[in-house]
Amino acid sequence: MDADCVLLLPGVCQVLLDSGRSLPDDTTLEKLLDWLTGITEADKEGSLLEVHPCLLEFISFVVCKTSSDPSVISFTLKLCGLMGATEDGFKRLQESSVLDLAFSRQHWHEAGLWEDPCIRIGWIQGLRSMLLHSKALSFFVQADLTAQLLQLQTDTSLFVASAANQMLAHILLFFQPVMSAGCNTIGKKHWEDKRTQASIIGPGVTMDTSEDYDAVLAVTSKYLQESLVPKENTQFHQSLQTLKLLGLLLAQARPPLRDQLLQTAADPLEEVVTAGCSQLTLPLMDVVLAAYSSSTGEGVPDQHVARLLSSMLTMSKPADLIQAAAALLSRGHPDSVHAAQAVRILLLPLDLITGQALLGTNTAADKHRFSMVDQLKSKTSCISMICVCLTNTPQISLMPADLLPCPSASIVTAVLSLLRICSGDSSSSPAGCPEVFRNVISSGKVQKSALEALTGLSSSPGVKGMLIEVLAVLIEYLNHPDSDPIVLHKSYQAVVQWLSVCVDLSFTTDKLQQDLVEVVKKRVCDMRWEVRDSTVEFLGKLAGVLVSAKVAPDTSEVLLGGCCSASLLREALQDPESYVRASAISALAQTLAHSWQQGAAPTQQQTDIVSRLLEILSQDTEGFARRAVVQYFIAWFSSRSSSTSRSPSTSTCSTSPLLMNSVSTVLSLGSADLDWEVKVHTLELAELLLDEAFLGHRGYRKGSDTHLALPHPYAVVSDQTCTLHTHNRKRTEGMDSDLAIRLKTLVEQGVFSVLLSGLVDCDRPVSLKACQLLIKFRETVCPVSIEAPEETVAEVSCELPGWGWGQDISKTLGMTMSDQAKVADIAANGAHVFDSEDCKENVNKGGDSVCVRVCEVLRSLGLDAKLDILIQSSDHVHNSPLSLLQDILTAGAAHSHPDTQPGQEVIVDCY
Amino acid sequence: MPEIKVTPLGAGQDVGRSCILVSIGGKNIMLDCGMHMGYNDDRRFPDFSYITQNGRLTDFLDCLIISHFHLDHCGALPYMSEMVGYDGPIYMTHPTKAICPILLEDFRKITVDKKGETNFFTSQMIKDCMKKVIPLNLHQTVQVDDELEIKAYYAGHVLGAAMVHIKVGSESVVYTGDYNMTPDRHLGAAWIDKCRPDILISESTYATTIRDSKRCRERDFLKKVHESIERGGKVLIPVFALGRAQELCILLETFWERMNLKAPIYFSTGLTEKANHYYKLFITWTNQKIRKTFVQRNMFEFKHIKAFDRSYADNPGPMVVFATPGMLHAGQSLQIFKKWAGNEKNMVIMPGYCVQGTIGHKILNGQRKLEMEGRATVRFFFPPQNTSLMSYRFTLYFMLADWLCFLDVKLQVEYMSFSAHADAKGIMQLIRMAEPRNMVLVHGEAVKMEFLKGKIEQEFNCYMPANGETVTVTTNPSVPVDISLNLLKREMALGGPLPDPKKPRTMHGTLIMKENSLKLVSSEQALKELGLNEHQLRFTCRVQLQDPHSDPDTLHRIYTHLKSVLKGYTIQHLPDGTVMVESIVIKVSSSAEDPNTKVLLLSWSYQVKLSSSESILP
Repeated sequence: MDADCVLLLPGVCQVLLDSGRSLPDDTTLEKLLDWLTGITEADKEGSLLEVHPCLLEFISFVVCKTSSDPSVISFTLKLCGLMGATEDGFKRLQESSVLDLAFSRQHWHEAGLWEDPCIRIGWIQGLRSMLLHSKALSFFVQADLTAQLLQLQTDTSLFVASAANQMLAHILLFFQPVMSAGCNTIGKKHWEDKRTQASIIGPGVTMDTSEDYDAVLAVTSKYLQESLVPKENTQFHQSLQTLKLLGLLLAQARPPLRDQLLQTAADPLEEVVTAGCSQLTLPLMDVVLAAYSSSTGEGVPDQHVARLLSSMLTMSKPADLIQAAAALLSRGHPDSVHAAQAVRILLLPLDLITGQALLGTNTAADKHRFSMVDQLKSKTSCISMICVCLTNTPQISLMPADLLPCPSASIVTAVLSLLRICSGDSSSSPAGCPEVFRNVISSGKVQKSALEALTGLSSSPGVKGMLIEVLAVLIEYLNHPDSDPIVLHKSYQAVVQWLSVCVDLSFTTDKLQQDLVEVVKKRVCDMRWEVRDSTVEFLGKLAGVLVSAKVAPDTSEVLLGGCCSASLLREALQDPESYVRASAISALAQTLAHSWQQGAAPTQQQTDIVSRLLEILSQDTEGFARRAVVQYFIAWFSSRSSSTSRSPSTSTCSTSPLLMNSVSTVLSLGSADLDWEVKVHTLELAELLLDEAFLGHRGYRKGSDTHLALPHPYAVVSDQTCTLHTHNRKRTEGMDSDLAIRLKTLVEQGVFSVLLSGLVDCDRPVSLKACQLLIKFRETVCPVSIEAPEETVAEVSCELPGWGWGQDISKTLGMTMSDQAKVADIAANGAHVFDSEDCKENVNKGGDSVCVRVCEVLRSLGLDAKLDILIQSSDHVHNSPLSLLQDILTAGAAHSHPDTQPGQEVIVDCY
Repeated sequence: MPEIKVTPLGAGQDVGRSCILVSIGGKNIMLDCGMHMGYNDDRRFPDFSYITQNGRLTDFLDCLIISHFHLDHCGALPYMSEMVGYDGPIYMTHPTKAICPILLEDFRKITVDKKGETNFFTSQMIKDCMKKVIPLNLHQTVQVDDELEIKAYYAGHVLGAAMVHIKVGSESVVYTGDYNMTPDRHLGAAWIDKCRPDILISESTYATTIRDSKRCRERDFLKKVHESIERGGKVLIPVFALGRAQELCILLETFWERMNLKAPIYFSTGLTEKANHYYKLFITWTNQKIRKTFVQRNMFEFKHIKAFDRSYADNPGPMVVFATPGMLHAGQSLQIFKKWAGNEKNMVIMPGYCVQGTIGHKILNGQRKLEMEGRATVRFFFPPQNTSLMSYRFTLYFMLADWLCFLDVKLQVEYMSFSAHADAKGIMQLIRMAEPRNMVLVHGEAVKMEFLKGKIEQEFNCYMPANGETVTVTTNPSVPVDISLNLLKREMALGGPLPDPKKPRTMHGTLIMKENSLKLVSSEQALKELGLNEHQLRFTCRVQLQDPHSDPDTLHRIYTHLKSVLKGYTIQHLPDGTVMVESIVIKVSSSAEDPNTKVLLLSWSYQVKLSSSESILP
C-alpha cells in the first residue's frame, strides 16, 4: 500500500463508520474491497490488520454497533472474511472477539438486519473469503454454520441462494481429502474405510481438519438425501438448488468425496428421475452427466449412474426428453449407445413433421413417437421442441456415421422441407404431419433456427451436391414478401456459407443465378434499412469468399449472372442510412480487391467511385461511412503493397496515381475528422505509407508497437530489429540522400502532419497511435542514439499551421507564436524556427504558419515521456486507490459541511 | 392460482443498470438491459447466468423490451445479443432504435480508451444488434406470439422513451422505464390508459422529492450562464451526445435571441447536426409547442449554436461550450476543462450525475486540487532542480513530474440536474391513471423507496425488491366467456332489475369449452350443439315413520301438514296416490313386517341442501 493511501485509510474508515453520511457512489465499497483484496493477495504472509490497526477498529465498531448503513455492514463482513483469510489475521480477529459476532446470524437477526439480502450476501462472501485454512474451518464447524448455510440455499434472493451453493461447494471441494495414488476402492468399501486409506493433501489442510470436514460433509450429505426429492409442488425450488449444488460438487469432486456423494445421492436421484418433474430436467441432467463423466474418468462407468442416464433418455414427457438429449450432446456424449439414443430423440420431431424418415423405417424402437406427435400438435411445445432439434442438427451431422440413423444429406433434406413448410409449401413433405404444419407455418422462430441449422450443416460430410436444392430454398426465402429482416439476414448468411464450401459453380444452374440476381436487385432497394444493409453486406461477403477461395476473378459476377454488383453497391453509397453506406463502401473494397491485387489500371467506374468516396469522407454526417472510406483506401493500399514485390524506392512510382492522389486527400480529411475512429484509421493509412517508405531501411520494423514491447526472451529476432539502435556513421552518401528523399515525400504527402495533429488529439487512442508512429519515425530517420542526423536528412523541414494542432505542437515545443520572429532555443532540445525554401511559400500564404525541421521536432517533442503517459488508461489516475480514498473523504467532508444545502444534493439518476 | 414474478437483476433498490425479469402467464420478459458506468469489468453488465440455468438465454426469454436510449437502460444490449447470444425478439420505439447506437458508440469510444479493456462489444456488434430490433409505435398492440402482447405508451423523459403494457391472457404488467409527468422544453408528459394492470413496475428516482418547478431551475441556469458570460468568463457544459443537451440548447438559443447576446455557443463533435436530424425525424415525439411551431420554425435549427473546433477553446472572451462526454472523464470535455479550470471567471455546469472516479464526480464533491496526468506543460509547475526551497512534498512531485501534475480548480462548479424523472407527486399521478392492483418500485435508492412505499401501501400492495429478489404476486384472472344472445334474452325476460355492473346477478346455463373458447348457453342449446339426448336425473330417499293409519290416510295427513307449513309453494295431491311439492314427489307404502311403519319415498330432480331449521318433515 503506498504511503499516501496509508495516511488516508484511517480517515476513510471514519467516514464509513458514520453511516449517516451517504457514500459518494454505489460502487465505492466494492472498489475499496477490490483494492484491499488485491493487497491481501499480493502479500499473503503479512497481515493488514497488524499494519493498519484502523481496519480492526473499524470492523469491531461496525460489528458491535450494528447501526451502520446495511451496505457498510455488508462490506465490513466481507472485509472481516478477507482479513481472516490468513491465519495471522484470523488469530487477531478472534483475539478481539470480532469473529463470533460478525458471523453470528442471531446477532444480525436481533438487530433486524438479517432480512436485508445485502447483509446475507456479506455474511456468505465473508465466510467464503475466510475459509482458506483449517482454523477457519474449525470456527465454521464449531459455530454450526453448515446448517445455516444450507438454509440460505433456498433464500428468496437469487444472489444469496447462488452464493450459498458456491460457498458449500467451496468448503467440500477445497478441503476435500485426496485418495493416495493407486488406491482404487470404488464401490468396494464404505466411506469410513476409504478415509483410513486416504492421505489428506488438500491445499493448506492438515490432518486436524478431517474431523471438521467430516462434520460438514455429514450435515450436507444428510441434507442432500432429504431435499433432493421434492415432496410437494412447492419444493421444486429446494430440489433445484440441491441439484445445482450436487452438480457443482460432482463436477470437481475427486475420490473419495465423489464416491461418497454418489452413494448418498444415488437413490434420491433415481427417485427424481422417475418422478419426471419437467422443471428439474436440465439441472438433473447436469448432475447425471457430471456423475457419469466423473465415474468414467476411471475407465468403467458406474452402473448405477449409467442406469440413471438411460432413464433420463426414456422419460415419458417428450419435451423433457428432448431437453435431456440436447444436454447430453452439448455437454459431450459419454458413450456411443447413449449418444446414438440422444441423436434419435433429437431427430424425431424433424422426422415426424417432415416425414423424411430420418430414423429409418424401423420406427417401432422409438416408443416416444406417439406422445411426441401429440406434443407437436400444441403450438408452443412444437416450436420449442423443433428449435432444440434444429439447434443440434449441425453437431449431429458431424458425429461418426455409426451413431447416425441416416446420412447427413437426409438431415439437410429434412431441414429444407421444414423451411418449405414454414413458408406454406408442404408439397415436398407428403409423408409429413399436416396437423403440425399449421404450428410452424410463418413461425419466425422456427425459420431462424432452421436457417441457422442449414448454415451449420454446410460443412457436413457429403452434402456439397445439395447446393442447388439449398440455394433454391434460400432464394425462395429471400424472395418471400413476408420474410422479416432477421430471416433475410440469416438466409444471406446461409447462401454465403454454402457458397464458401461449394465454390464450384457447376453445381448451380443459370436459372438459380438469374433468380439470385433478381432477388438481390430487389432487396437492395428494400424499404427497411436492415434488409438493404444485409443485402449489401452479402455482396461484399460473397466477393470476399470467392476471392479467398481463389476462384476465377469474376466468379461473383458470374454467380450474379452478369449483374454488376459494383453498380448496385455504388447506388447504395447514396443510401439515406449511414450503416448501409458504410457497408456498401466495405463491400466495394471486397469486390474490387481482386482487381487491385492484379494491379489493373483503374477503370472510369473505379475513378467515379473514388471521387464519391472522397465526397463522403468530407461531407457525410455519420462516422460509420467515413470510417469505411478510410478503411477502403487502407485495403486498396495494402492489397497492392502485398501483391507487388518491388523495391521500396520504386513502389510509389508503380502505384496508381489515382490511389496516391487520393491517399493525400484522405490523410488530410481524415486527420481533421471529428470521429476518433476515422482519425485512428487515418493513422493506420499513414503507417502503411511509412512502411512503404522505410521498409528495408535499417532500424525500421513493421507494426506500430513493436518498438514498445520488450522482446520476449525466446523470441526470434530479425536482422532488421538487430540494427535498431546500432547505427554507425559508416553510411553511404547515397543511402542518406535516399532517406532524405523519402522523408521529404512523406512530408509532402502530409504523413508527418497527420502524425503531429494526432499527437495532440484529445482522444487518447488517436494520440497513442500517433505517438507510437512518431517514435518509429524518429528511430528511423534520426535515432536518439546518434548525436546528429546526416545533414541532408536534418535539413528536411515541415510546416506547422498557426492554428489548431499546429499551435498545440508549437506550444509543446516550447515556443509561442509571438516569438516566431526570433530563432530561439527554448528547451534543451528545442526546435528551431527558420526560413526554409521548402515551406517559405506556404508560410507566406498561411500567415501564422511556421517552418520547423522534422528531425528537431521529432527529438524535441518528448515522445518517450508522452508515450509513457498515453499507454496508461485514460482514467488510471482517477481510478487509482488514492483517488478512491480521496473521493470517499471528500464526499464525507462535503456531507458534513455546515454550508451544504439540501437542495444541492447530487441525485443518482441516469446516463 | 396463477402468479406473476418480478425479479430485478439490476435497478432493485439502486440506480445502476436496469434489468428486470418478469414471468407472467408462462412467459419470461426482460425489461431493459442496462449497464453500470461505474465499473470497468464484467460487473458493469447484468449477470444473466442467474436466470438461464445452463440453458440458452434465447430459449428462456420470450422477448426483451428496451424503454429508452440511456445507457443504464440499453448499454448492455449488444453484450446480451452479440456476446451472450440472445437471439430472440428485441423491442424498442423508433427513436430509441435510431439513437441507441449513437450512445453505444459514444460509450464504446470511452471504453476503447481504457487500458486492458476486454469483453466489450465492437461497432459491428452494435449494428448487428440494432438490426435485430423490432420497432414499436405508440399505442399499437404488438403480438409477440399467440399469447403475449405488448403496447407502448409515451413516457416523456427523453426522445422516444416509452412505458410498456405487457399482457398475457387476462394478466398484465406495466413497466414505466424512466418517465416524467410534467412536460419540458422539448417533450410532453407521460400518459397511460386506465389499464388496471396486476402490477405497475415504476421507477422511483425522485421518490421522496417534490421537485421545484422546472421553470425555476431553468431561470437559475440561465442566470448563472449569463452572469458568467457578462464577467467575460467561459462556460463549459459537459453532456452526453443526445438527450438533455438538446433541451439546454433550446433554452440557451431562446435566451440568446431574447437578450440579443453575442457570445458564441458551441456544441462539440458535430452533434448538433445529428441531433437536429433525429429531432426532425421524430418530431411527433416532441411536445405540442414544438410540433405546432415546427412549420414556421424548427426549434432544433439553432441560430446561435455553432460547431466547435478545438482551437476555439483558446479564443479570448466569453463563450459557452457543450462538450462530450458528460462526466468529464475523457475526450473533449476534459480537454476543455483542463484549459479553463484555472480561471475563476469560468464556470462548469454539470447537468447530470457522475460516477465515482470521474473528474465530474470529484469536482461535484468539492475537490479543488486534482491530480492529472501530466503533459509537456507539467515541468513548469515545479521549481527548478537547484531550488533551495525544495521540501519533501516538492521532491515527491518532482519524482512524479514525468507523468503527474496537480490542477487547481478555480472555476465555478455548478450542479443542476435537468434529468426528467417523475417526482413523488408524479408517481402517485401515474398510479391514479393506471389503477394497478400492486406496485413494484425499482430504479431508486432504498431509503427513498421506503418512504414512497409507505405512502403507496395505504392504497395498494407495494414491493421494493432488492437485486436478485423475486416479488411474487398471485393473480385472480377473469376468464372471458362468450354468452349466447338467447340465454341473455331469456334472463332479461325473467324480469328483475336491469343489468347493473355494480350488482352481479347469478345466471344459469351450460358452459361449453370447445377449441380454446368458452361459451355459456342454455341447456337446450348445449344439447342441440353437442348432439346429445336429454336425460333426467332424479334423487330418491326413503324415510320411515310410525303411523297406524292406512297408506292413503297417511299420505293425506302429510299433504295437509305440508300445505300448512309450506305456504307459497305449489302442493298437489294427485289421483295416482302421490303428493307433489313443486317437483318433489312423495309416495307412501307400508312396511311388509309392520303395517304401522310407513315408508315415504321422496324423489326430486334438483338437489337442494336444506339446513336443519328448514326441515319440512313433522
